[in-house]
Amino acid sequence: MMVSSGWMCEDGKVPMSARPQQKLASPPALERRPLDTNTLKNYLRQMVMVREFERLGEREFKNGLIRGYYHSYAGQEAVGVGFLNALDLNRDYVVDHYRDHGHMLLCGMDPKRIFAELFGRSDGVSKGKGGSMHMYSPENHFLGGDGIVGGGISVATGVGLALKQQRKQGLCVCFFGDGALDTGTFHESLNMASLWGVPTVYICINNKYSMGTSVERHSSLPRLVDRAQGYGISTEQVDGQDVWATTEAAERIFRKVRNEQVPYFVEALTYRYQGHGIHDKALNYRTLEEETAWHERDPLKLLTDYLVEEKIASRDQIEALRAEVVGELEAKVEAAKLGSEPQPEELFQDVTL
Amino acid sequence: MIVKKAMHEALNMALREEMARDERVVLLGEEIGPYNGVHYVTRGLYAEFGKDRVIDTPISEESFVGVGVGMAILGQRPVVEMMRMDFSLRAMDQIYNHMAKIRYMSGGRLSVPMVLRGPEGPGPNPGLTAQHGQQLSVLFAHCPGLRVVTPSNQYDAKGMLKAAIRSDDPVVFLEPGPLNNKQGDVDDGEYVLPLDQAEIKHSGNDVTLIGYGASVALCLQAARDLERDGLSAEVVDMRSLRPLDMGPALASLKKTNRAVVVDYAWQSYGPSAEIVSRIMSEGFWDLEVPVARVCGKETPLPYAANLEELSKPTVEEVVEAAKKLKL
Repeated sequence: MMVSSGWMCEDGKVPMSARPQQKLASPPALERRPLDTNTLKNYLRQMVMVREFERLGEREFKNGLIRGYYHSYAGQEAVGVGFLNALDLNRDYVVDHYRDHGHMLLCGMDPKRIFAELFGRSDGVSKGKGGSMHMYSPENHFLGGDGIVGGGISVATGVGLALKQQRKQGLCVCFFGDGALDTGTFHESLNMASLWGVPTVYICINNKYSMGTSVERHSSLPRLVDRAQGYGISTEQVDGQDVWATTEAAERIFRKVRNEQVPYFVEALTYRYQGHGIHDKALNYRTLEEETAWHERDPLKLLTDYLVEEKIASRDQIEALRAEVVGELEAKVEAAKLGSEPQPEELFQDVTL
Repeated sequence: MIVKKAMHEALNMALREEMARDERVVLLGEEIGPYNGVHYVTRGLYAEFGKDRVIDTPISEESFVGVGVGMAILGQRPVVEMMRMDFSLRAMDQIYNHMAKIRYMSGGRLSVPMVLRGPEGPGPNPGLTAQHGQQLSVLFAHCPGLRVVTPSNQYDAKGMLKAAIRSDDPVVFLEPGPLNNKQGDVDDGEYVLPLDQAEIKHSGNDVTLIGYGASVALCLQAARDLERDGLSAEVVDMRSLRPLDMGPALASLKKTNRAVVVDYAWQSYGPSAEIVSRIMSEGFWDLEVPVARVCGKETPLPYAANLEELSKPTVEEVVEAAKKLKL
């Protein structure tokens, strides 16, 4: 059994990597910049929706309705919620990687059409021709998941360059995992983005594992920000479990990128609860202790505890919200199931023959 | 007005005209700016249009092709130069998995109107050797979602490149390296040529010579040589490898009943194999004898002058192959 004890603190609880060793730009939890009640409630609803979407998706994968691969975002919600809420999707764009369902929901895409795509239906986001990793919604400024590790990083650089050329004051956000730092195109793209002043924010979602290989086994440097510092661009780590931290960082970073037309690199420290994909059942590359420690700092739990402690919402109210969201999503699942398969002639459409 | 221009000048005219017509047209590539392009295709454009329209890239092929993809999705019209098409091997993930497929994977919600262009094959200068003078056209032509075109003369080069830039599909525009510095007729006025049509470049009755890009020049010279020996050859320029327009070749076969396919690329699994296969399934009953092929020899491109010459298809081989079909 592979033991990644390097990620454990002496107390065996909070992973060291979630406590950045160097000074963070975002304040520690106790000095959180306050977010107003409505924002927090909205964030709670969004996080619950993403978490429950993935739970239902996993269920339908096991039921055989979803084919191929399914990469669950469960556990990483505070990253998407903080960064995507800070975007202005009238002018900004998102280029995503394969763990994309949560980000699509947070960009405002209809869960029914996402489920329909996962079920291979003609009314899916990509008419049933893309699947989990290949959904694109230009009206939501969501320019795709991507099935190739690191594959979207240069595309996002081009999107940022086009926005700069079109003088739209927009920016591009690009999400990828820690494994993508090991691709050449990550380094090539950051070099070009810095050279040309491209307004793209590169967000590495460091969930500690490049498939089954821990950061310490795939990265020459344990702090991934250190690997992005050779290109003359601003970089920082952010606590990806804490939605206050991601929100604060996102708003500040986007302001800088928009005003100064420069790229930015963010390492968001978080954890995925499932395997690389739902099919990845073994998880023998990490320990129960490690998983437990991360669950204790679950982003949804941190937010829930705060809301309860501050008497903004009771646990019963939060449970009722969860049940309501699940009800809505179940209805979307059922509606998506009713969709028809793509017509056979669809096979040859959207490609020049 | 018809003027004499080198192939690279014809391509340059196309770029200049399209950049002046449409400010969304942006060039990306290595040494295309102040250096003026290793094969001169972008000469003068940096001075004329500036650094935001003619963007010198670092030697990062995969990623600057990806930058082109991203710009194209956002509505720009990037034209990305590969200094040599051989270097596109570094960019195959972006070409195959992104440039070619995003339109399909998105159910038609996005398009990638970009051009990837550059010289392929052994030329213009000799001695390019194994990593700089390959004819890799089949790699692109194999992939659905791409248009793959290649001109055989200066006139077509200009009109087809302009059409490629205006196409909403991603286009791989293969420039015949051996012809890069060769002079020929170009119209200096406005014109655009189709991207999906083969064309008869020389009429004849006895045998059909089929080529694309640089091999069309071999076919035309072979046709002239055969004429001296009393054989009348028809030359078909495929011009587009994807889609492959077999119409003119099949029509020609009805007349000649004989064909030689000429290709700088390796024979096995190459474009010539596809062309022969289409003839077998669509023109078999017009054939008097099996189709012959004259292709690049199946070796890496060697350095020594004599070996390089031996490795390439030659006019003599085409003439000999055609004569054999008439025996």
